[in-house]
Amino acid sequence: MSDPGSIVPDAAPIDAAAPTRAPVTFLDGASSRRRDVSLRLNEACEILEGDAVIASWPYADIRRADGPAGQLRAMCVSAPLLARLEIREPALAAELEHRCPSLDAHLPGSRGVLVIVGWSVAALVSIVLMVLFVVPLAADRLTPLIPYAVEKRIGEVADKQVKVIFDGKQCENPAGRAAFVKLVEMLRQAGDVDATADAEVISNQIANAIALPGGKIYVFEGLLARAENVDELAGVIAHELGHVKNRDGLRNLIYNGGTSFLIGLLFGDVTGSSAIIFASREMFQASHSRDAERSADATTIAVMRKLGRSPKPMGEFLLRVTGKEKGKGLALISSHPLSEDRLARMSQQDAAPTAPPLLSASEWAALKAICKSPAKS
Amino acid sequence: MNQMTSVPLTPAPPPPTPAVKVAFTGDRRSFLGLVARGAGLEMITAGFYRFWLTTDMRRHLWSHTVVDGDGAEYTGRGRELLIGFLVAMAILLPVYIAYFILGLEAERLQAFASFPLVAFLYVFTQFAIYRARRYRMTRTVWRGVRFWMTGSGWKYALQASLWGLLMILTLGLILPWRDASLERYKMQHTHYGDLQGSFVGTGGEFFKKAWWLWLLTPIAVIFYIGIPFVYAIYKAIQFRWWVNGLRIGSVRFESKLDPAAYLGLYWKMIGWVILSSLVLVPWFALSAAIAAAVSGEALDMETFSNVELYVSIPFIVPAVIGYFGWAMLINVFMRLYLVRDLWERSVASIRIHGLEAAANVAAKGELANALGEGFADGLDVGGF
Repeated sequence: MSDPGSIVPDAAPIDAAAPTRAPVTFLDGASSRRRDVSLRLNEACEILEGDAVIASWPYADIRRADGPAGQLRAMCVSAPLLARLEIREPALAAELEHRCPSLDAHLPGSRGVLVIVGWSVAALVSIVLMVLFVVPLAADRLTPLIPYAVEKRIGEVADKQVKVIFDGKQCENPAGRAAFVKLVEMLRQAGDVDATADAEVISNQIANAIALPGGKIYVFEGLLARAENVDELAGVIAHELGHVKNRDGLRNLIYNGGTSFLIGLLFGDVTGSSAIIFASREMFQASHSRDAERSADATTIAVMRKLGRSPKPMGEFLLRVTGKEKGKGLALISSHPLSEDRLARMSQQDAAPTAPPLLSASEWAALKAICKSPAKS
Repeated sequence: MNQMTSVPLTPAPPPPTPAVKVAFTGDRRSFLGLVARGAGLEMITAGFYRFWLTTDMRRHLWSHTVVDGDGAEYTGRGRELLIGFLVAMAILLPVYIAYFILGLEAERLQAFASFPLVAFLYVFTQFAIYRARRYRMTRTVWRGVRFWMTGSGWKYALQASLWGLLMILTLGLILPWRDASLERYKMQHTHYGDLQGSFVGTGGEFFKKAWWLWLLTPIAVIFYIGIPFVYAIYKAIQFRWWVNGLRIGSVRFESKLDPAAYLGLYWKMIGWVILSSLVLVPWFALSAAIAAAVSGEALDMETFSNVELYVSIPFIVPAVIGYFGWAMLINVFMRLYLVRDLWERSVASIRIHGLEAAANVAAKGELANALGEGFADGLDVGGF
């Protein structure tokens, strides 16, 4: 019954016809019963229980299944899905491995991994190209299609959040407010921006101004405090009106949403992906928003010239607020064009004022004090 | 257990079959090689390799978990996870857009009022967790017979969410009863061939063993150092309680896991995170110095205190690469300590009684798709 006691040289093939009495277990895939079987390696791998052939597996159909170390666990693609052969005798396992040409064909080998890497890189390139070219285009095309009413709603949401984040109150000093409204109204009409635009001064020490979707403009007290004359401030407000006119806030929102989704798709739940999504988005967004900034600067130039004032003070004001930017390797990442370049552009459009200042000296003084509580007289 | 001494005439009652010990035979080094290579490939493929890595890890763990001489088998494939993920994304995209619009409407009424909508995502996440478990179960095979699950993902999600609400109301005190109830649902709908699973553990038992952790938690949260202790002990007690409550047909499971069994693993993990972070900090400093040098700035405090430097490309690119590499490294540690070693300690503590009931189980049950895993991945709750 058992193998002849003779010592078989390594090179000699095992007598295939003799039933092997090595410990082989067969699981038929229909029940969990372990069946002690023997193998007969003929044209196909025949599985014998006693003397009866209970299954016959063609070598080409045999695949390796996962098993613990020290045994060959085999399955067969033409047999029941979960039928398994467990072979614990190394020589027999080696012999069967030798006869099965496609034993490991179903597992991704190094070629399979290369295919995965290739497709992933293709997906990566495709997503980067989408973010660089398709999403901005989609944002440009979608923006005019979105009704103002919807933009206004989005704006109201953003507005509530901005107020929470910047924790600032609207500045309501009546004299200052009158001067501010007068200035904004003048700029709005000169820039041909419709009446949805609405500006406020917020008591917060940030030196900045922002335009939200829906036409809300916030000038922070910190910026107002650093403005030295009306033209400087007027240029900034005109710039924000330019954003409102171009609906940049909405466009950015669409762009950001699309970009975040695409980059998020890529990384899934890889640890720290949110930080990476954030960083990459900022980088992509920067290149996208510089064009919008240049376009808004064009509005400043047009408005200031129409009102008979020079845009140059705004350029100087910006440089004063940001400090020197040139030569810092910021050109690619900065969301705004460099302050020096903006000043150069404004300076080209410099001309002697042909109209009186936009606000009188007393109105300007009142505007500067808009966040102070009304003086008791 | 047959003894050679013969005792005639009295037909001996069948001796209680001895408990079977579960063994883990996996080689630690080969698992480390697997996850290290996987992390490298994840980095090259921007994360897409995760589907195949997860599959390979499960294959390793399953196949080296040996019960009564037979290793289990994981028959899932990376491709299935990828397809599940893509389908889930196709479904989640409109859900996200609808969520965005609804959120907009809610926020308009009141700032940050979209919170109730977060609740919807919570329910959805519970659904994903159930369906992901179902996928894993139907890919788990022992002795040529697979596990499978019935039950409804939505019913489970509803229950889990109601329990989640109670958790908030009771400051987490109800957790043992929540676990017991949800586990009962999961196990009653879990089958191995024609054997039906059940769960007999009760919330009371769990509470009796772990109530003091609940008292310690506020203290642990105040002094951060206590959190890993509380968490590791909690996880060990929970595992032991869970195993002792498991039944599949009349097969009984038992674990004598030491409550302190996981402590070392969590601390090793924390130690490696701290150590590797110490490498990351000089890397950031180096990136900043290179960025400053590239842009021709003087390497002084003024340059380094300028925020603009840290949003410039010459800094961001190496910093992001360094950060990503660090995150991959952390993943390797996590998979080694908190997946493999934790698995080894957990399964090696299990003894199985009455396994003979599973000696001749008829195969049954259909394969489930990987959509749940896809949702779980898309919602960032892709568990193991």
